[in-house]
Amino acid sequence: MKNTIKVQRAIKDITQAQLATIIGVSRQTISAIEKNKYVPSTVLALKLARYFEVAIEEIFELTEED
Amino acid sequence: MFVLHLVKNIIHLVMEKSYLLPHRFKKIGWFMLVLGLIMGVAMRFFGIDADYFGRIPFLGIVSENFLSSDKHFFEVVENGFLDEMVAVLIILGGILVGFCKTKIEDEFILQMRLSSLVWSVYVNYGILFLAVLFVFDMPFFDVMVFNMFTVLLFFIVRFHVLLHKANRM
Repeated sequence: MKNTIKVQRAIKDITQAQLATIIGVSRQTISAIEKNKYVPSTVLALKLARYFEVAIEEIFELTEED
Repeated sequence: MFVLHLVKNIIHLVMEKSYLLPHRFKKIGWFMLVLGLIMGVAMRFFGIDADYFGRIPFLGIVSENFLSSDKHFFEVVENGFLDEMVAVLIILGGILVGFCKTKIEDEFILQMRLSSLVWSVYVNYGILFLAVLFVFDMPFFDVMVFNMFTVLLFFIVRFHVLLHKANRM
């Protein structure tokens, strides 16, 4: 799975730490998701989509391996 | 007071089923663990005896007369307390360090916690497995003594290495 969190973050102009605080997770988690090292739970994915005000598919996309 | 507070917290946590302890106990956990480890190393490698600070009476649920090998039940036993103290410090300290929540305990951290725990059980029993086959007599007893604590210690080291790596990402 790949994601566009970094891009979405740039649009909103906020840091990983700021996003983490808003969503209520650790900064490491945001960083790990951005680097495709961690696949977030549905709840966390939905929270991210709600904050960025986009559909969840605009942030997360399945890749060949999934 | 501290113990009562801790017990109350444990009951609360078991009820909410996270099984993790509050973050605020982690510091005291580190203190106990490090103190226990230093004392343990001093005993094991610098020849400090269990009787070093004297002997105190314990309630021995089971004890054994060294010469006659008779088992005694529910008898007061005079015992050097340093080794008990080391074990208690390492066990309680290790549990607190290992299972207190991080400042923000989220799903990614929980996953690292779980994978570290699995890793540490594998490594711990891997070592014990090899020791069962290749180590005998007193050296095997030594392995067993270390093995009492290593599952916790390996877990703590592995988990904190992963946390550190995630921190630098």
